[in-house]
Amino acid sequence: MASFKPHRSCARLLLAGLALFSFQPSLAHAQQQPAGFAVERFYQSAPGGGWFIMDDLNISGRLGGAISLTSGYARNPLVITDPDSKQKLAVVSQEAFVDIGGAVTYNRFRAYIDFPMPLSVTGTSGTLGSYQFTAPSVSLGTTPDTISDFRIGVDTRLLGEPGSRLRLGAGAQVIFPSGDRADYVTDARYRAMFRFLAAGDAGPYTYAGQLGVHVRPLNDAPVPGSPNGSEFLYGISGGRRFAGPTGWRFVAGPEIYGETAFNQFFSGKTGTEALLTGRLEQTGEARNLRIKLGVGHALVQNFGAAQWRVVFGVELFGHK
Amino acid sequence: MRFGLSIFTAVRHVKIRDAMTRSCFSSSPGQGLDRAILFRMLGAANIVMPVLAVLIFSTSLASAQNGTPAPRPEDESSAMQLLTDKGLHDIENESWNAYGQFTYISSWKPSFDAPYTNLNGSINSLLPTAERSFTGTATLYLGLRLWKGAEAYLVPELISEQPFSQLRGLGGAIQNFELQKGGATVPQVYRSRLFLKQTIGLGGESIVEESGPLQLGTHYDSRRLVFVAGNFTILDFFDTNAFDVDPRQGFLGLGFMTYAAYDFASDARGYSYGGIGEFHWDDWAVRYGRITPPKQPNQLPVDFRLLKYYGDQVEVEHKHKIGEQEGMIRVLAYRNRENMGRFSDAIAAFDATPQENATTCTGFNYGSQNSGAPDLCWARKPNVKEGIGGFAEQYIGHDIGVFGRGMYSDGKTEVYAYTSTDRSATVGVLAKGSSWSRPKDLTGIGENLGWISNIHAKYLGMGGVDGFVGDGAITAGSERSLDMFYSANLGKVYWLTGDYQHITNPGFNAARGPVNVFTVRVHGEF
Repeated sequence: MASFKPHRSCARLLLAGLALFSFQPSLAHAQQQPAGFAVERFYQSAPGGGWFIMDDLNISGRLGGAISLTSGYARNPLVITDPDSKQKLAVVSQEAFVDIGGAVTYNRFRAYIDFPMPLSVTGTSGTLGSYQFTAPSVSLGTTPDTISDFRIGVDTRLLGEPGSRLRLGAGAQVIFPSGDRADYVTDARYRAMFRFLAAGDAGPYTYAGQLGVHVRPLNDAPVPGSPNGSEFLYGISGGRRFAGPTGWRFVAGPEIYGETAFNQFFSGKTGTEALLTGRLEQTGEARNLRIKLGVGHALVQNFGAAQWRVVFGVELFGHK
Repeated sequence: MRFGLSIFTAVRHVKIRDAMTRSCFSSSPGQGLDRAILFRMLGAANIVMPVLAVLIFSTSLASAQNGTPAPRPEDESSAMQLLTDKGLHDIENESWNAYGQFTYISSWKPSFDAPYTNLNGSINSLLPTAERSFTGTATLYLGLRLWKGAEAYLVPELISEQPFSQLRGLGGAIQNFELQKGGATVPQVYRSRLFLKQTIGLGGESIVEESGPLQLGTHYDSRRLVFVAGNFTILDFFDTNAFDVDPRQGFLGLGFMTYAAYDFASDARGYSYGGIGEFHWDDWAVRYGRITPPKQPNQLPVDFRLLKYYGDQVEVEHKHKIGEQEGMIRVLAYRNRENMGRFSDAIAAFDATPQENATTCTGFNYGSQNSGAPDLCWARKPNVKEGIGGFAEQYIGHDIGVFGRGMYSDGKTEVYAYTSTDRSATVGVLAKGSSWSRPKDLTGIGENLGWISNIHAKYLGMGGVDGFVGDGAITAGSERSLDMFYSANLGKVYWLTGDYQHITNPGFNAARGPVNVFTVRVHGEF
């Protein structure tokens, strides 16, 4: 009988070991799984706005309108770094989209609607700290008809005439939740943006800028690399015009834009990106065409500010 | 994997028409209807035809005038017409247009008699308890002329829905054509269409195409080539609705959208990617289209391998006049190659190895818990499905028309996109309210009949399920739905509809039912 004692001790040790072993997976299960959010911070200007992000505020004439088609590819728009181990995880490593919008203009006012459609959103799943990230797996085959967070907006030119040295305006837009958070294409919450806009032309040079507020209810802190509530929007662009034949012209110049969360004002959650753009455009009162190309790189890489990106756009616009 | 939910597709703003050609049912008796089914069909026709005849003759006597209802009369109220009236838009030669609609449909089904429901763990019965179903949709139709002959269309749409019994238990008699597979009460926004249409004129007469959803106001040559590429529903171009009636104003039953047996390739919402070519020569038209099927039956993900899996269809159309009354006849044939199961293969697999039943699937399946039943999951492989059908519509008086359509599909393989019906026939009458001084009102009565093949019935009788039906047992019969409605126009752009449907042999099972469905619809256009 005495010989049972060591056996019992061994059994207790074994049970304790098993218990510890069995608890470990449960601890792993206790890891939080971020739900995803709208990773893109490439908030385009309204159809007919001229620049990719900024707005030239050349809104004029009687009834007019614009149709735009923009497509782009972003590399590493969401790379998360573990604050302890400095390990990096590209939760969203590739993103391709097409975006179709339409605008109606009258006098100095513009109303528009815009439909982003993801073509591909993919990345790498993994664990960082206590968070288990699941990468999106979006393709045209798996989600053939997704519209992600479409928006409706209005812009107005408040001061200055089209082509003048200084034009001031304002814009507002509502972003409607659409799509699946796990695909990193939506916050699944209504959002809004309010922007003060400026633009002007001086000889062959042209510029534009914006300051604004992005009302973003989603605050996923402390999940690393996630939205932290409402954001401050900023951006500036400048370029030179080169006259071409038969009313065509070419405009080249950079756009620099970004956002930072008010909760961590320029101390975190800030993403800033520079886009070198060129556009070939024909402007006048009849139907006009604009073809745009941009190549960008993150200046401050955070979610939505891609390591690099390429965008292409076509706009048809005009007014009576 | 479990079939998330389903019902079908409300595709389209399209139109309605129908026809049943008896020849396509009687020409191949070996594969066709057996005598019992044929007698049942004739029996149903005996009941329906007098009703139709009374309605047809009474209305035609009331208004024995000629004429075709225009799709969009000049007094139509719309933003485009408003802009035209103010001199800001040319609605007859448009460079762009924008239209919209919203529709709310609420249906109620009282309880009905059923000796069994979801027998032995099968899952696809229409529940015999009282149920409410609804759909709410809002659609924006945007059109743009890109260059000469080129039109581009984008159609975003929002839907919220709740089907009866998770969209299970009915074939082509699904009571609301707006219902989609995989839908939810939480509103979903999606892109229903994005396509490019190029028209090449070849001469002939100049035909006026009036401005409307998915149509820029323009003139076409009566002889022309048309090419379409992109994302659309095949019903935008094939088997379009009779008399240009928008289904959101007309019949509510799914069986009146198109042939219930036309299992056209499409995703769970009813849309596809692909290309279409049309050749119009005055009163004749021939069209061919190849489109994408879903990766799994009745699911949303799309298989883009168009050389391996596809849906092909060809349609020949002829417009005619009998006296002064216009009419149209069409013949449509389709051939799908998809990764689908044959009923005979599923039965053979189960007979050879009973362990290969509905509860042991290792691939895609619908979640049946019937361990004594075969399942299509054991039989899926590249297979072909074929069918041929005919349609006819004929005006018989001013704003009054009759239509009929019928299709015979081979019935060897499972439903992959539309309904479980293998053979279908529809007849009906549509009349506008011109005779009683309400020209924008619309009323109609019709009967939709559907059958399944013998091997399909055997599979269901063994407890098997397909995408929509499977009670665990079956007394095979033709599924029939009588649909009658009145749609009253209110304030030019709103319609209020009352609809009644009487469904006999739901899910092709004569042991269950009949089922009554009462529906109210509110529809607006702008």
